[in-house]
Amino acid sequence: MENLVLGIGITALAGALATVAGAAEDTESDIGSQGDPNSQVQLAPQMGYIHRIYNKAVSGEPPAYGLWCALGAGIAWALMSIQINAVLAIVLGSAIAVFVQGVYATTAYLGRTASLAKFEQPVYIDIIKSVTTVTMAHAFVAIFTTVAMCQLMIVALGHPFPLPLLALVWGIALGAAGSATGNPFYGKERQYQEQKFGAGVPISASGNIVRYAEAGQRSSLDNGWFASKLGGPASGICFGLIVFLELWRTVLFEQIGAGWGAIIAGVVLILVFMVIDRYIETWARKTYGPYVAETEEAAS
Amino acid sequence: MSVKIEASEGGRPHNEILGFGLIGSLVCIYLTYLNVLTGTEIFSFFGGLGAVIALAWGSDTIKHLCSYGLGTGVPSAGMIAFGSGVIAMLFATKFGIAAPVAALVIAALLGAVIGYVSDKVVSMNIPVMVISLIELAIVGALTMMGLAAMAGGSFMFADLVAGSTTVFGIEIASYGSSVIGGSVLAVIFILGSIAVQHPFNACLGPGEQQDRTLMLAAECGFLSMIGVAVISFAFIGFGSAVVALLVSIIGWAYTYMEYIKLSRRDAYDWLDAKPIHEPKGGA
Repeated sequence: MENLVLGIGITALAGALATVAGAAEDTESDIGSQGDPNSQVQLAPQMGYIHRIYNKAVSGEPPAYGLWCALGAGIAWALMSIQINAVLAIVLGSAIAVFVQGVYATTAYLGRTASLAKFEQPVYIDIIKSVTTVTMAHAFVAIFTTVAMCQLMIVALGHPFPLPLLALVWGIALGAAGSATGNPFYGKERQYQEQKFGAGVPISASGNIVRYAEAGQRSSLDNGWFASKLGGPASGICFGLIVFLELWRTVLFEQIGAGWGAIIAGVVLILVFMVIDRYIETWARKTYGPYVAETEEAAS
Repeated sequence: MSVKIEASEGGRPHNEILGFGLIGSLVCIYLTYLNVLTGTEIFSFFGGLGAVIALAWGSDTIKHLCSYGLGTGVPSAGMIAFGSGVIAMLFATKFGIAAPVAALVIAALLGAVIGYVSDKVVSMNIPVMVISLIELAIVGALTMMGLAAMAGGSFMFADLVAGSTTVFGIEIASYGSSVIGGSVLAVIFILGSIAVQHPFNACLGPGEQQDRTLMLAAECGFLSMIGVAVISFAFIGFGSAVVALLVSIIGWAYTYMEYIKLSRRDAYDWLDAKPIHEPKGGA
């Protein structure tokens, strides 16, 4: 019974860490324009829209976060094996991983922008100075919480995987959660605020991203403010739920039927979420209906 | 069949880079064997240098392959290189002193099978697919072997699965504390697969220049070496790990500075805190 209570406590703590990780991850990737919104940032100068938005083309978010978390965990694991305190080891590991992340971010911005010289897109060196540090700070929060969560799973819940491998798996899951949940807020909404609501992005509007702000010119830091309001918390809830439910079903049902209990509970959870998703989808379609083009409205 | 688009004109021919990459990385990985001959661990960093050379070759191969219109396929090319490379590398470590050459042969066979399947069975119909995937599998296997040798001081299976841990001041043998048992290979896998795809992915575009892309490849290699050098503190002596860390940091700082210079050369303009410059006749 005591084990069960401890297990549930660790599950809740890991879920909380994952929520913070998800929120920080999405805010970081939106400030840097990583993932699918990056394609429009990359396209804009080719369509004649010169901008001052960061272009952090490292790779998709899942492999990139797989690297940052696995590297942070690998270094933390190595430092722990030479008898350095676990908390200090995870902080040092995350710090070195964030250094690598920052270097990758600057080389991606410089490389992509220099290759766009033909379209008269200049390199704005002040963007590197101001934005890179902000993405690094958010990435540190995401990496530290993810590695700490993995360490909790191993030490308190007895997970059989070594720390670096577990962090690689959860890092990929973190990147996938942020990419799938948070990016639409930035890529489909924030970049196209000038388009009519619900109009989608027609080919003619491709690359016509918002470049000017309420006052002055839009900076990627403004996108951080926007992401921390909507996309970030949504990604946090998504990743937090994934981690919480994953551990919850294992802790509660693993003893039933030699492990089969946890597998059946997982399948039931997936089915429950499929029903919820389907309900939300049909509800949204009924409530908002298909998009009606303006010409049709005028005709009717 | 896909149409070939030249990413950049000029530069060194790909076959020259292939030859240099293959021989250079093999020689550097073999230099780590000096550890066994001299009974020290000071030569471990040569494994990392071998990985840097292999990564530069691999990024040029990815450019060669992706010039057939595989824009979004650049990061996945890195994954398939290391996915096939890790199998070849692990198998090859059982061959003792012949391990690097064995890795090359096994990776080439694996790459040929994967290349044939993607080109003919999945019908991607890219003329350089088979040869590129052979090259990428070899790059993946040699990079992983080089970085593993740098972390553990040896490229042989027996050394990579042997570790020791200290319990109450007594040192005991433990598989979980070894390079393979501690999943350091997972870190090396993802370090290498991001490092091999990043140079071309970051520099692609109409203004891509081969010297800038290759300089970035070397930079990514040295940056990966920094991470592996810190991890190597757990496996090799303190002095040897410090030497490896110093070599990595010096190499990284030099290539990073050079890369910034090359970006400045190729950029349209280099502005600090200036407003958006609207092009004439633009949107």
